[in-house]
Amino acid sequence: MRRSKERSRFIFLCVAPATILFFIFMVLPTLNVFRMSLFERGAYSPTETFVGLNNFKVLFQDAKFISAMQNTILLIVVVTIVTFFFALLFAGILTREKLKGQNFFRVIFYIPNILSVVVIAGIFSAVYKPENGMLNSVLSFFAGREVMILWKDQQMVMISIIIAMVWQAIGYYMVMYMASMAAVPADLYESASLDGAGRTAQFFQITLPLIWTNIRTTLTFFIISTINMAFLFVKAMVAKGMADVGLSFMYSQKDAGLYGYAMAAGVVIFLFSFLLSAMVNRVTRRDVLEM
Amino acid sequence: MKKLLSMILASVMVLSLLAGCGGGNDQPPAQDNTQTQPSDSQTPSTPEPAPAPAEDVTIQVAALASGYEEAYPGMWQEVCDAFTAETGIKVELICDKNLEDVIGPSMQGGDFPDVIHLATGREKGLTEQFIKDRNIAELTDVLTMTVPGESAKVSDKIVGGFTDTSVTNPYGDGKTYLAPMFYSPCGLFYNAGLFEEKGWSVPATWDEMWELAEKAQAEGSYLFTYPTTGYFDAFLYALMYSVGGPDFFNKATTYAEGIWDTPEAQQCFDIIAKLASYTNPVTPAQANDQDFTQNQQLVLDNKALFMPNGTWIVGEMAEAPRADGFAWGMTALPAAKSGGNGASYCWLEQAWIPAGAPNMDAAKQFVAFLYSDAACAIFAKGGAVQPVPGLTDNLEGDNKMFYAIYDNGADAAMGNFAAYNAVAGLGSVREVFLDPVNGLVNGSITQDQWMSDVKAASDQMRANIMG
Repeated sequence: MRRSKERSRFIFLCVAPATILFFIFMVLPTLNVFRMSLFERGAYSPTETFVGLNNFKVLFQDAKFISAMQNTILLIVVVTIVTFFFALLFAGILTREKLKGQNFFRVIFYIPNILSVVVIAGIFSAVYKPENGMLNSVLSFFAGREVMILWKDQQMVMISIIIAMVWQAIGYYMVMYMASMAAVPADLYESASLDGAGRTAQFFQITLPLIWTNIRTTLTFFIISTINMAFLFVKAMVAKGMADVGLSFMYSQKDAGLYGYAMAAGVVIFLFSFLLSAMVNRVTRRDVLEM
Repeated sequence: MKKLLSMILASVMVLSLLAGCGGGNDQPPAQDNTQTQPSDSQTPSTPEPAPAPAEDVTIQVAALASGYEEAYPGMWQEVCDAFTAETGIKVELICDKNLEDVIGPSMQGGDFPDVIHLATGREKGLTEQFIKDRNIAELTDVLTMTVPGESAKVSDKIVGGFTDTSVTNPYGDGKTYLAPMFYSPCGLFYNAGLFEEKGWSVPATWDEMWELAEKAQAEGSYLFTYPTTGYFDAFLYALMYSVGGPDFFNKATTYAEGIWDTPEAQQCFDIIAKLASYTNPVTPAQANDQDFTQNQQLVLDNKALFMPNGTWIVGEMAEAPRADGFAWGMTALPAAKSGGNGASYCWLEQAWIPAGAPNMDAAKQFVAFLYSDAACAIFAKGGAVQPVPGLTDNLEGDNKMFYAIYDNGADAAMGNFAAYNAVAGLGSVREVFLDPVNGLVNGSITQDQWMSDVKAASDQMRANIMG
């Protein structure tokens, strides 16, 4: 009895530093965001006025905020689907097929993930350059005439961002799936192929169900990180106001001197990402299969 | 024993972590204590400030590292050292390209630098926020102070008119809050070599401009480009000034009722919309912070004739490849009607003191010192020109031509859109007036839509104007 009391005290003390820091640097600021969303103030001003829920009332009628959230949702949906499709496909190929230079490809795919967004923006600036840009030059070569697509102009801007975001994210998730795919016992595939299952059937019948837990977890991660990454990409890559997402709207309101209003937008985005993750978690729930 | 040890270890860990976090807060109060000392013993108007009591004062100066600092690295440090040598007040300098990100967080925590050199009109709008919050110390009394180390008053060292506009007196009450620092004429930049080669003359009116556009098109070039929509602020100010004169300019920048329905306003909108139709179509795709130099490159490559810009462009594009025979040319905006004057906007950077500055008196001395001959000479090495009489006489090369623009008959437009209280849902001046130009060029917005958005926003801005 005495031992377990001692033990729990020890555990308490071990956990305390992290908990205290988490409380001070995560929980308190988050609560403060909620509080500040009820006030109006400048970012650097010492005075604030209580405005109740007025910030939220204006926010839901602000056409710019609504279009920013639409862009956010578009990016989340499209980038998630495309990234997961390619990440699973490449992971499947690299683990199951006998390719030369497997590790080489693994490294190549992973590189974008260690680059900072600023570097990626620089790379894509060269890729998307209208005159003599890499992408337009390649397209011109195949079309046999000069192709002049304005990748970062209004009409194409979302597609350009999606391409860059997918390129950045694939490697990381591919490596994650490769790790869990490697844990799938090879004899399952052997017996399946004896039963006449093709490669595609094996992938959907064996691989996918067995790594489902992994996919679920990464999906939740990905949705939350996409909200953040979308902001970074938009900020670094395209003209201001052309493809605003939720968080860039928040920042521009702060720069306009509306700190409370920006915090209200922050609260909505926070709740939005929370709800979305919960929903995704719900929808993707399956019985866990044991290997 | 074991229990005790683990408890000690754990508590040491907690304490050391917390101590590390709290450390940042120890400094400001310490500075506060030293601050009271010199302010008592030193009145601002003392011609020869006594260095002895001031020695333990350290002021913090935050200055934007702009193109001038790049042209002459260490420019600001040299000025700060000269100030310390003159007054004995120590200076801790923060000089950064992204100054807002460096000083912003600590200012949100209530820790302000003593002097900030950061202009209005930047994307992060930090200076505007301080103006809107009435968080800037008044500088009117600095004008009557004596420049440290000299016998002249500060007001004698500033060219008349530079402390009368909304750039320095944001509330329109005759009080100066922001000190006028570096100024540069803005205008349309072009390849003078190309104009000579083709025998074109620089258009004096907008009609001549449109004729030139046709000629350029025949050569496979375009009339116009712009780095980002942000560069349209100087352009719009100059345009409004040349079209409607000072009266229209003042009314428009204070959002006077019905001002956007006047024929002058219509002419401004028409000119910009027509210019948009003659703009090189790749411009909006590159009009972002990442690629704007590629738009500037269009002029160097003769793929666009004109772009609105400032004198810093020469240094900024110094390393860039260019067409044969390229030579920088700069012209004011053409006259609205034949016989009229062109106009050039005078871009002015400001230095100011936050209301929360801990060493107010020493900070004011520093601002006064910025107008001393010693400081002016150091700034001039970086190509920065202050509105101090006689400074433009010593200019050389391209700069000489640029600063001569007003001598050549162009009207100088100065001032900016009046500050208004921030209202949720109401965009900034840049979002309302300037950003839609991208849309005009790529066709995602019509001129009518832009005009009606401007009118609606302008009404709201007028309702919330400060002053």
